Amino acid sequence: MGRNRAIKAFDPRRTGDSLDLLTATDTRAPVILELLKSPWVARASDLTFPTSGFAGKRHEREIEVVWDAGRGAPRSFVFDRRRYVVDAIVQAWAVERSWWDPRRRLSRRCYRVLTRGGLYDLAYDRLEDRWLLVGVVD
Amino acid sequence: MAGFVHLHTHSHFSLMDGAASPAALLERAGAYGMSALALTDHQGLYGAIRFYRAAQAAGIKPIVGAEIVLEAAGLEGGDAIEGDLPPDARLPLSAPVGFGRAAGAGFHLTLLAKDITGYRNLCRLLSRTHVRTGDDPSLVAIADLEQCSEGLIGLSGCPCGEAGAAVLAGLGGRAERVLRRLSRCFAPGDFYVEIMHLMTPDSPRYVSVLTALAARCGLPVVATNNVHYAERAQFRLHDVLASAGARTGLPGPYERQNAELWLKPAGEMRHLFADVPQACDATLEIAERCNLDLGLGEFHFPAAYVPPGETAYSVLSKAAWHGLEQRYRPVTPEAVRRLQYELSVIQDLGFPEYFLTVKDIVDFAKSRDIRCSGRGSAGDSIVTYVLGITDADPIAHELLFERFLNPERRQMPDIDVDFDSRRRDEVIAYIYERFGHEHVAMVATVNTMTARSAVRTAAKALGHAPEEVNALSRYLPWVSSHHLPEVLATYPECRDHPLLQPEHRLLVELASELNHTPMHLGTHLGGFIITREPIETWMPLQWAAKGVVVSQYDKDDIEALGLVKMDILGLRTHSAITDAVRMARERVGEDAVPEPFELPHDDPRVYAQIASADTVGMFQLESSGQRNLAMRLQERDFEDIIAAISLFRPGPLEAEMIVPFIRRRHGLEPVTVPHPGMGEVLRTSYGVIVYQEQVLQVAQAVAGFSLAEADSLRRAMTKGRSREAMEAIRKHFVERACGLGSSEEVAEEVFRQLEGFAAYGFCKAHAACFAVVSYATAWLKTYFPAEFASAILNNEPMGFYSPRLVLDDVRRHDIDVLPPHVNASSAEFTVERDGGAVRVGLGGLLEMTSRLLRVLEAERAVRPFADLADFLKRTRAEEPAARSLIRIGALDGLGVTDAGRPPTRDEMLALLPELKAVIARQGVAGDDTLLIAPARARGPVDAGHVSGWTPAMRVSAELECLGLAITAHPLALARADLERRGVTWARDLPACEDRARIRVCGVRERAQTPRTRSGKRTCFLTLEDPTGLIDVVVFEDALNRFGDVIVKNRAYLVEGVLQNNCQRGIALIADRIEPYVVRDKGRQLVRLRRGVGAGPLGPTLGGAGAEECDEVGAASSA
Repeated sequence: MGRNRAIKAFDPRRTGDSLDLLTATDTRAPVILELLKSPWVARASDLTFPTSGFAGKRHEREIEVVWDAGRGAPRSFVFDRRRYVVDAIVQAWAVERSWWDPRRRLSRRCYRVLTRGGLYDLAYDRLEDRWLLVGVVD
Repeated sequence: MAGFVHLHTHSHFSLMDGAASPAALLERAGAYGMSALALTDHQGLYGAIRFYRAAQAAGIKPIVGAEIVLEAAGLEGGDAIEGDLPPDARLPLSAPVGFGRAAGAGFHLTLLAKDITGYRNLCRLLSRTHVRTGDDPSLVAIADLEQCSEGLIGLSGCPCGEAGAAVLAGLGGRAERVLRRLSRCFAPGDFYVEIMHLMTPDSPRYVSVLTALAARCGLPVVATNNVHYAERAQFRLHDVLASAGARTGLPGPYERQNAELWLKPAGEMRHLFADVPQACDATLEIAERCNLDLGLGEFHFPAAYVPPGETAYSVLSKAAWHGLEQRYRPVTPEAVRRLQYELSVIQDLGFPEYFLTVKDIVDFAKSRDIRCSGRGSAGDSIVTYVLGITDADPIAHELLFERFLNPERRQMPDIDVDFDSRRRDEVIAYIYERFGHEHVAMVATVNTMTARSAVRTAAKALGHAPEEVNALSRYLPWVSSHHLPEVLATYPECRDHPLLQPEHRLLVELASELNHTPMHLGTHLGGFIITREPIETWMPLQWAAKGVVVSQYDKDDIEALGLVKMDILGLRTHSAITDAVRMARERVGEDAVPEPFELPHDDPRVYAQIASADTVGMFQLESSGQRNLAMRLQERDFEDIIAAISLFRPGPLEAEMIVPFIRRRHGLEPVTVPHPGMGEVLRTSYGVIVYQEQVLQVAQAVAGFSLAEADSLRRAMTKGRSREAMEAIRKHFVERACGLGSSEEVAEEVFRQLEGFAAYGFCKAHAACFAVVSYATAWLKTYFPAEFASAILNNEPMGFYSPRLVLDDVRRHDIDVLPPHVNASSAEFTVERDGGAVRVGLGGLLEMTSRLLRVLEAERAVRPFADLADFLKRTRAEEPAARSLIRIGALDGLGVTDAGRPPTRDEMLALLPELKAVIARQGVAGDDTLLIAPARARGPVDAGHVSGWTPAMRVSAELECLGLAITAHPLALARADLERRGVTWARDLPACEDRARIRVCGVRERAQTPRTRSGKRTCFLTLEDPTGLIDVVVFEDALNRFGDVIVKNRAYLVEGVLQNNCQRGIALIADRIEPYVVRDKGRQLVRLRRGVGAGPLGPTLGGAGAEECDEVGAASSA
């Protein structure tokens, strides 16, 4: 079936709930992974304004994260007074930008996590020693 | 043992794309318990040998490799090129990597040498690529890779590799084609798909797609991390280097998104590749398969010419015995014994071919009358002496062969030979012709960052404009960048330095961390590698900036490989001696001037000249320190010259050997030695251990060591041993000495002295070889001062002093200095009036061209120049050169104006553009042009001189255009003012009392800040006034107060206490220094723009760009 096989093979009738792609870990993970592999999918974080260099609409919110030292990854986090337990770490990446400019410097360790509510990007800000929610896909 | 080995690692030998040294990478790998580590620098093996040796020492298996830049392999169709593809199918090329002419922009591929075959193939592949491409980007051809892949393991490369780039661009088909094509270049099982998880958002896709492609192609995968620094914290340095290397500002050419290219521990790498554990297992498997043995410790000599039926030893032996008869008349039994012994040692150690190679080159030079002389410890050998390589008799000067070749230690001998620098190229051409171009290459040097270059690198990366970069790096001394914060805080010349401002804190921090980072590959001054096999099988070669093929290894690497390195050094003193002898013979006859190197060393006039410190121009004896030493030492024979050369060296100076040597020589203190055996051995140096050879002799005399054992002892003592190791050596020495009847106290005292001096002694053979040249120059200066000075001036830059001072020295010897003139001067300085005058040459004139010099001499031979128009018409002189000629007075007195007198310089300068225009328009200018042209210039400023210029104007122009003061010494113009200020002249200093308080004035000639034992900074200033040289010592407290005055000005008034005694010589201890602006009687300024070279205090001591503090000076001198 070629590209985006998981998307094309997804059968919404299986659960009888026609439009919910993210009902369970085993069904949503391959979809998300396939999306991640697709070069035509652009990241919102990669979109930049030509003048400012910053993303078009970015909203970051400080959150509380419970760290799993054994796995070396977040275990759960609290967002809007709800606790989200991390089902899986979809991806982890690091950002180290503009270290020579104190006003623009960014030093973060980011985790894209899968929880019951969807896909969340969490970032640990090394400079300010705090966790941020930097992206939500739901 | 760790479960991972890093196979893609860049050190700072990736030249501006790596931040860690091989040693730092190995240390980190060792700390992680990794069993092996690969080094894969861009486009070369620059750091491979030191990495290999350091890894072996650390017990880590070294894997030698390189990341090459390859042409495209995945294009469809044989002749397709990237540009033919539709835009969305093209791959972006990364920034060029590699240094200089070895840099290339293409697709990266990692290669690892499995064994010596792989290593040689890698060298061959890199050499072919770099040498073939010349000025084009250095790109490895697929065909060459196929030919040279035996013994190599290939990894598909980083995201800048073709497969990686194709995956990132979503061109899976191309990536697959690349992998299939590249895998065919290697033996089955020797090509791996390289996967990297660099913690970017793209990384999971990158890894999964490449893994899937590898599975489809049936290729194994291997995990790497594209390491560019040992620790995470070094990512800033890497960014800075990459940016500066690509001549862009931060974030640099790669726009790296994070700081993950560090040498990660095995656990972290396994965690990153948890889904593909086989990729980590493959690193161990590859490490297991790579077993390169470079065979260090063996020697590989070039092929010397050996006739059929002979051996290298028999040829050497015959030549040596023949030479013995030439050198020793009559041949003494001692010389015979010595030669027999040395030849047997050379034969046992297997070095005859090396000696024959050196002899071959020296014989060629002598056959062409190219002056040459050996130097260094090679002078300890009678074999080198009788072969004509060195010129100091080892028996007469008690030189010991074991210091040169120790039979107990099989080390590559090192014979350095100096050649007439002007004809060195002929010798080099002969070497290439004799041994073959495939067997000869020049040795590289790795140029590393000092404080100044580190500041410039960091400032460029941080985006400062060029003029800001210049301002930020100005006045920085030549110190290691590691000391930058300390230097900025304490050095007087850095007072108010812009780097001290808070906004530059990051820059200073980065620059300090860039300490000793290699910047680029240079070419060794005279080092050549000569090999028996084609040299490209030993090391990669590339083009150097100066257009010669250079190895990627430096001299230490060459030595480690056991290859022969010959230093073909150019010595301008040899050129000057040759010139002086030629000029002298032209004047007084061929037979009246003997060959200076063959003179008996017994002329009292020569020694008197040296002892009077009148040594400007004498090889090794002219520095301010040597002149001071000469006054105290009062040389009487050749042994004294050897002592003088040896004593004024960093080691003996640091060990303060001079004072006891002088005191004992003049009977001011008794010569005492703890052991009677030392008395005889140290007879010539009054009981002071000055020479390294004497350490050997003392150990032999006191403890019965053989000379070979004694040399091993000396080496052990000089290598910074631990206290335990030194204690063991001491115990052994004392036991042996006591066994020969010495008391323990005496043995302990002898050892204490040996320990104290062994590390500081100077090699007597080296001094003796130099002393032969020194004596030759001293003899020439004594008997043919005009010729000798002219020869020196014709071979500038050379020696310790500027041409200005050399010419002033000529004047002080009552030899007339004749001004340059188009009707009298040639390109070079010449001798006139039967040795009574020196005519200034025009070769060094500002803006002068070789064409003009040639035409000038040819036209003058036809008839003299009549006036400026005639000169311009016949020579077609370029306007800048003509302007310089007018300004220095080379056209003074030519022609007549309507005022009935020759035109002044101002008038000629005013006429020059008009005359040039007339000549350009009509082809010729009428002889009457001067009469036609209106005199638009001002009238004569000084009607008493034909030039119409005052002496101050003339001297300023001479200094600016020629770097010489021909009319007079600049300070001679300010004589009245200086005498009013109570200045003492240099010639009167010997008559002043010790500890007298005096004031002197001088133009700065040299400023040196050598290392002192106490670690304090002391500046030794050499000033010159019209009557001679003045040595000034500026101790640290004065230097802190007046350091910036020294750096930023050229003439000073110095006050202080005179030191004038036979133990310390004559020097002024400065406690006050103020700038002095030179003005003549009419208060006209004399500018001293040229004539003072750069010195160790800073690059702007006297060079272009240094500010003249006229206003400051004027204020203080008013």
